[in-house]
Amino acid sequence: MNLQYGGEEHIPAGLDRVWTFVTDPEQVGRCFPKVVDVAVQDPTHFDAVVQVAVGPVRGKFKLKVELQPDTATRRLDMKISGGGFGSAVDMTAGADVVDAGAGATTLKWNGQAIARGPIAAVGGRVLDAQAQKLIAEAFATVRERLSA
Amino acid sequence: MSTQPAGGHALGVAMKRKEDPRFLHGKGRYVDDLSFPGMLYLALVRSPYPHAEIRNIDIVEAMKVPGVKAVITGKDLEAAGLGWLPTFHGFDKQMVLAIGKVLFQYQEVAAVFADTREAAADGAEAVQVDYAPLPVVADPFTSKADKVLLRPDREQKTNHIFHWEVGDKDATARALASSPKRIKQRIWFQRCHPAPLEPCGCVAYFDTMGRLQFHVTSQAPHVYRTALALVTGIPEDKIHVISPDIGGGFGNKVPVYPGYVCAIVGGLKIGRPVKWIETRTENLTSTGFARDYHMDVEIGATEEGRVTALHVATTADHGAFDAAADPSKYPAGIFGIVTGSYTFPVAHAEVDAYFTNKAPGGIAYRCSFRVTEASYAIERGMDILADELGIDAAELRRRNFIKKEQFPYPSALGFTYDSGDYHTTLDTALERIGYKALLKEQADKRARGELMGIGLSSFTEVVGAGPSKHFDILGIKMFDSAEIRIHPTGAGIVRAGTKSQGQGHETTWAQIVAEELGLDPQTIMVEEGDTDTAPYGLGTYASRSTPTAGAAIAMAARRIRDKARKIAAHLLEVSDADVEWKDYKFQVKGVPSKTVTMKEVAFAAYTNMAQNEPGLEATFYYDPPNMTYPNGVYVAVVDVDRETGEVKVRRFVAVDDCGTIINPMVVEGQIHGGLTEGFAIAFMQEIQYDAEGNNLNTNFTDYLIPTSLETPHWETDKTVTPSPHHPIGAKGVGESPNVGSPAAFVNAVIDALSPLGVRHIDMPITRDKVWRAIHEARRG
Repeated sequence: MNLQYGGEEHIPAGLDRVWTFVTDPEQVGRCFPKVVDVAVQDPTHFDAVVQVAVGPVRGKFKLKVELQPDTATRRLDMKISGGGFGSAVDMTAGADVVDAGAGATTLKWNGQAIARGPIAAVGGRVLDAQAQKLIAEAFATVRERLSA
Repeated sequence: MSTQPAGGHALGVAMKRKEDPRFLHGKGRYVDDLSFPGMLYLALVRSPYPHAEIRNIDIVEAMKVPGVKAVITGKDLEAAGLGWLPTFHGFDKQMVLAIGKVLFQYQEVAAVFADTREAAADGAEAVQVDYAPLPVVADPFTSKADKVLLRPDREQKTNHIFHWEVGDKDATARALASSPKRIKQRIWFQRCHPAPLEPCGCVAYFDTMGRLQFHVTSQAPHVYRTALALVTGIPEDKIHVISPDIGGGFGNKVPVYPGYVCAIVGGLKIGRPVKWIETRTENLTSTGFARDYHMDVEIGATEEGRVTALHVATTADHGAFDAAADPSKYPAGIFGIVTGSYTFPVAHAEVDAYFTNKAPGGIAYRCSFRVTEASYAIERGMDILADELGIDAAELRRRNFIKKEQFPYPSALGFTYDSGDYHTTLDTALERIGYKALLKEQADKRARGELMGIGLSSFTEVVGAGPSKHFDILGIKMFDSAEIRIHPTGAGIVRAGTKSQGQGHETTWAQIVAEELGLDPQTIMVEEGDTDTAPYGLGTYASRSTPTAGAAIAMAARRIRDKARKIAAHLLEVSDADVEWKDYKFQVKGVPSKTVTMKEVAFAAYTNMAQNEPGLEATFYYDPPNMTYPNGVYVAVVDVDRETGEVKVRRFVAVDDCGTIINPMVVEGQIHGGLTEGFAIAFMQEIQYDAEGNNLNTNFTDYLIPTSLETPHWETDKTVTPSPHHPIGAKGVGESPNVGSPAAFVNAVIDALSPLGVRHIDMPITRDKVWRAIHEARRG
């Protein structure tokens, strides 16, 4: 199942602070929805365990995440792969971190994901809606943490 | 309908099934009911990827799960020479556990053995597999381009598996070219799954003598024993296969699956019994699927509606391995029956099969090998031709039927049809349904814009493989066997090489013995499924049990009768030549008052046998001279809701000719079951894959099984033309309703929609497909 998303998120924090936050594996990892554990491997790699519930398909996903930040262009690309309970996901996401003035920052992002296994088959009917909800939750957490 | 044998007459009696009290009281004993001291449970790690390189398998965390005793991978099996197992077709092999890469979603990757089922599942979840996804080939037409080579392990470096053809290609092309009328239609028989209610499973252990005791849900226990001996190297005498009660097979339990091999290896490695029972999802996603034939059907005809030629070109999707359970000489099974019930002067059929990243299979789901696909193709084709010619669908069939006096009929594609009376069967069906009145009702409704359809299917099946000169599994010739022992009191036991999965053999085999020997069928015990006791046989599938083992039972009984005649002569104090078998007794010729029963002879066989060899038993291995050709005419009446696309099957009449009927109640039950499965295929069932190779029908929420609420009321009738070459004239019936009914349903729906210009809809005919067809027709 192939999923594609994109959008813009307004963050009430300055560009440098946002950039530092989104390129920090520990910080980004803790913003993953329903995150259970984050284990940072190095400055651009971390493992995350997240709780997943898509329709009747429920369990833990173990994810490997690679951050690919380009400080010069303030572009962050991210590769996520992993899975659990017989399912697998492979995601790529990218965000341009743009100064929105007045101490705020805009994240212009897009991403795509391929879901495989029971999460795509059994959860297929609700996967899209669930994914959008999780994305919204993730950005809400980013905003909340940077607003603190 | 008589329900009790009387005066020795046991054939044609609607005896209640002897096995039913056991099942109805919940006393059936299935594989999952078995438990042995120290038994471990096996869970399989399966791939979420349909095509991927395996970079690494990490079992460290899995081994830490409490209760987990061992984890094995494809590399472990490969090192032991057990990495691959041959498919029953004989021309391909299948990975037991993935080696190097996975080729379909839910493919077996690792096996986890643990103290409990839960610990095994937890252990499987903890196995970490590092996959590198590869491009997915999700259909045979993409596969054909060979842009992604799926099976580099094969000598042939293409995705093409085989080309098979039969008939006269050039003559067919010429006949089609010169035919005044021609129709051509791509018809897809979708991928579906037998989905037996009991999934596959086994318990394997090595007893104190080092002998493998293998309890398994197998439709072919003896073939399993031989296959396991060939694969594992265990001497065949050290393998004991036992198939206990089986909760439905439908062809799904013919192949040997990786879970079986893993259970045996685990049992050997750990030294404890191992149980493996599939989940529903595992059954639907990894075991033998059925059909998936894309058939280009072309029929030529005269203006008057006489068929002149038939050409069918098929593209077959076989999935990741060529695991279609077809005989080695027939890679496309018995698809040559595609000429159906009609006198095609010339025909040509060809099948090209391809690998894809889907589960392997192509098994004979409640049909003789690929016969359902063939029947569906010709019966849809005939309806399209009738529409093209403007001839009533029943009349077109009548004009082209093989006539009663033409049997035995040599078909254009090499079969010799044994017997039939198609015109009478059609007339019976049309009369039962009230065809003329329905046509008038339909005309009236069409005038009012209502959508009503009448669909016919007048199919001919071909079942009962052998003959051994044509058919085999893994080189083992297809015959079947029976052994009968009559005890001193006239009770007895019959053992056969077949294995009932619900067909009712415990009743019908006893009836054949009773009929042949004049004994009480209630005192004839039937035993199947134990390779230590049953004579070697090829098992139960493809409607072969009655044509082969049923025949073997009759022939073994006749051998017993021949021996019994000598003892009867001794008891009657006459010579053998003066004794005849009449009215289910031995009688002195011309002296009806001097008789002796088989029961009396049986007692004498152990107490007063004179110079005769003691005992009363016989074995017979039956190699049929020909296949049998059950046939029938089915008529469906449907109403279609123009606004919602909903199809209601208002009536369904099934007239079957399965030759001599052993037990009419069992036959009726078989027909009801098969029609219900045909109904499900026509309207509900498809194993779908998305473009990424995800199997989308992994449970009974997404792969629908009809309940009594959806299932139409079935009206059944019969004609009887006994098979001339079968000892009791029986042809087999279990699969006819599944073979014949899908076309009747689809033809009825298309007939309803034909005023709108709709010519064909592929199964399953869901309401959204019908709605779309109606709306696309409206848009013109």
